[in-house]
Amino acid sequence: MVVLRAGLCPGLTEDMIQLLRANGIRTVVDFVSSDLEDVAQKCSLSYKALVAVRRVLLAQFSAFPANGADLYEELKSSTAILPTGSPSLDQLLDSGLYTGDVTELMGAPGSGKTQVCLGIAASVSLGLKQHVLFLDSTGGFTASRLYQMLRAQTEDEEEQAILGRLRLCFVLQLEALRRIQVVRVFNIYELLRALQELRDRLSQQVVSSMGPLKMVLLDSVSAVIYPLLGGRQSEGLALMMQLSRELKTLAREFSLAVVVTNQVTRDSSTGPLKPALGRSWSFVPSTRVLLESREATWEKATTQRAASLVKSPRQPTGIQVELDLG
Amino acid sequence: MQREVGTLPLAPALRARLAAAGFQTAQELLDTGPCGLSKEIGISREEALEALQVVRQECQGDAARTAGGSGATRKCTALELLEEEQTQGFIITFCSALDNILGGGVQLTKITEICGAPGVGKTQLCMQLAVDVQIPECFGGVAGEAVFIDTEGSFMVDRVVDIAAACVQHCHLIAEAQQEEDLRKALETFSLENILSHIYYFRCRDYTELLAQVYLLPEFLSEHSKVRLVVIDGIAFPFRHDFEDLSLRTRLLNGLAQQLIIIANDHKSAVVLTNQMTTRIGQSQSTLVPALGESWGHAATVRLILHWDNSQRLATLYKSPSQKESTIAYHITSHGFRDVQPPAVTHSTEGTELNPRKRPRTEEGKQ
Repeated sequence: MVVLRAGLCPGLTEDMIQLLRANGIRTVVDFVSSDLEDVAQKCSLSYKALVAVRRVLLAQFSAFPANGADLYEELKSSTAILPTGSPSLDQLLDSGLYTGDVTELMGAPGSGKTQVCLGIAASVSLGLKQHVLFLDSTGGFTASRLYQMLRAQTEDEEEQAILGRLRLCFVLQLEALRRIQVVRVFNIYELLRALQELRDRLSQQVVSSMGPLKMVLLDSVSAVIYPLLGGRQSEGLALMMQLSRELKTLAREFSLAVVVTNQVTRDSSTGPLKPALGRSWSFVPSTRVLLESREATWEKATTQRAASLVKSPRQPTGIQVELDLG
Repeated sequence: MQREVGTLPLAPALRARLAAAGFQTAQELLDTGPCGLSKEIGISREEALEALQVVRQECQGDAARTAGGSGATRKCTALELLEEEQTQGFIITFCSALDNILGGGVQLTKITEICGAPGVGKTQLCMQLAVDVQIPECFGGVAGEAVFIDTEGSFMVDRVVDIAAACVQHCHLIAEAQQEEDLRKALETFSLENILSHIYYFRCRDYTELLAQVYLLPEFLSEHSKVRLVVIDGIAFPFRHDFEDLSLRTRLLNGLAQQLIIIANDHKSAVVLTNQMTTRIGQSQSTLVPALGESWGHAATVRLILHWDNSQRLATLYKSPSQKESTIAYHITSHGFRDVQPPAVTHSTEGTELNPRKRPRTEEGKQ
C-alpha cells in the first residue's frame, strides 16, 4: 500500500496528486484499481496521462510471473548444498543444508542445539571456505569450543603431524575463525537491525571483511520472541512475522542457508513436547529437526543425541539418526 | 535505509496508523517531515517529532555500522572472541573437581544456574563465589566485587565471615610458601573487612521488587564498574507461589533472562542464579526436575544440578556450551565449599587410584 507521491514515476506531478487525493485516491492500489475514464472526468485530468502513469506504476510494483523451466534453471545454478560436518545429520537433511531455505533445530535445554550450530559453522568455514554469520541471542557462543571443533576437523584430515603441517593446520584454523562473524543481539529490535544491515551490505555488494556469505545461524529465535508473545497484545505476533519475512527473503534473494534454533515446550506438565512459538511460526521453516537426549533423566550423562526429522520438503518425516556431540 | 516501518521500535498504535496511511519504509517517514506526518496520520506535532527522532536514531545507527562500526556494537569475528575468552578469568569455587568440570570455574559473561533440592548447598556455593570473586589477580582470581540479590532471606553474614576468613588464610599460606613481594602486597588489601564491604546486598521480597532491581542494575553496575559477579539467590521463590497467569510468568521470566544476559555481556560479569526442584510425575515414575518450567531451562547458559546420593553430595553439569556432562562429589566444611577428602589408605584398592605417590601397603608387604 504505497502512498502516491510526486516523483514516484515520471508522469506523476504534485498537482495531479492533490487532485487525486481530493477524490479519494491515495495509494497505488487505489489508483490502478479505479476506472480511469471516471477519474479523468472527475479530476479533469488527461486520460492519456493517466494511462501512461498506470502502466509505469504496474511495471514498478507488480510481480512478474516466471515459467517453471526458467525457475528450475535458476535454482540449479544458484542453490548450493552445504554439508553440516556430521555425516548422519547430512543424511537426515538429504545431503546437507540447502541455500534458499530456512532450517530449524529444536530441542529441550541441554539437547545440543548450540553444539550442532557450532559444528555447522566450523564445517562451512573450514571445509568450504565460506563466510558465516552467527547471530547469538543467548550468550551461548563459546569460541574455545568452536576452536576445539576446528582442531578436531583439521587434525582428522592431516594424519602426520610434521612441523610444517602443524603450522598449516594452525593457519587454516585461524583463517576459519576469521571467516565466522559473531553478532550478539539480545532483543528483537537489535536482531531486526542486524538483519537489515546484512541486507544493505549484501545488496551493495561491499567487498570488505565480509566475503562470500553463504550461511546465517540464529541461536535462538525463541529467546528474543518469547518476552513479546502472550497477553492480549498481538504486537509480538506481528514482530515475529516481520522477522520470519526478513529471514525468508534473505535466504531466497541472496541464496543463503538460514539455520534457526528453537525451544520446545509442553502443554501441561505431563503432555508431549512440542516446538515453541506456536502454530504461526511452524509455517516459517521448511525443514525441522528435533534433537533429543537418549536418556530420559539428567542423572545419566551422555554425549549421544537422537535427531529426528519432523518436517521436510524432501524426505519422509520420522527418520531418526544418532549424533555424537563429541 | 530501506528499513520497514513494522520493524522500528514505535508504539503499536502509532505503527498501525502509519501502516493504514501507506508508509512502508523508514526513508519515506524521514522525507515527509514532522508537519507532513502529523497532518497525514492525525497526531500532534510533538508526537510526530518524537517518532521521527526514534526513526532517525535507528537509521543513523545502521549507517554508522555499515560505514565501519563504532565500538558500541557487539559484532566481532570468532578469532577476536577466542582471544578475549582466553584472557578472561574464571571465578574459582575452591572445590577443584567442580572447577574442572566447569572448565576452570564459573565463567564471566555467562549465566550459570544452580538447581538443587533444599539443603544441598546452593546458598553456600553462592556465598563462596561472592567471596572468591574478590581474590586478587596474582592468586588466580578476578579481583572483582559482588552483588548479592536475596529473595529468600537465606544470606547469613556470620557464615560469610567464616568463608572469607578461611579464604584469606589460604591466600596467606600461599604467599608465605612462595615468598613473592607482589603476593604480600596484594594481601594487604585482601582482608576480612574489605571482602565484606565489597559484597553489595539487596533484599527483594516479591517478583515486582526483583524485576525492578534487575531493571536498575545496569545503572548500579556502571557506577560500580569493578563488579564481576551478580548472584540472585532464589529466582524461583518469588515466581512460584500465587502466580495465577502462567503465560505472564513465562513472559516475565524470559524478559528477565534477556536482561540478565545483556548485563552479563555488557559488564563482563558472571550471573549466578539458584533454582528449586520440583517433581514431574511421569507414567510409571516421578523424577526431580528444575522448577519454573521448560522454557526457563533455555535461559541459563550453564546448568549445574546439585543432588544427594545417600549421604554424599554430588554436582552434575547438565548443560554447558563447552564442557562435557559429568558428575563429581563435593563437601561443605566449616571453611566453605571444598573437595571431598580421599578416603584413608587402609582401603588398599582405592589407595592406589587416589594417591599415586604413595606406594600401597599390599605391594610393600609383597616386597
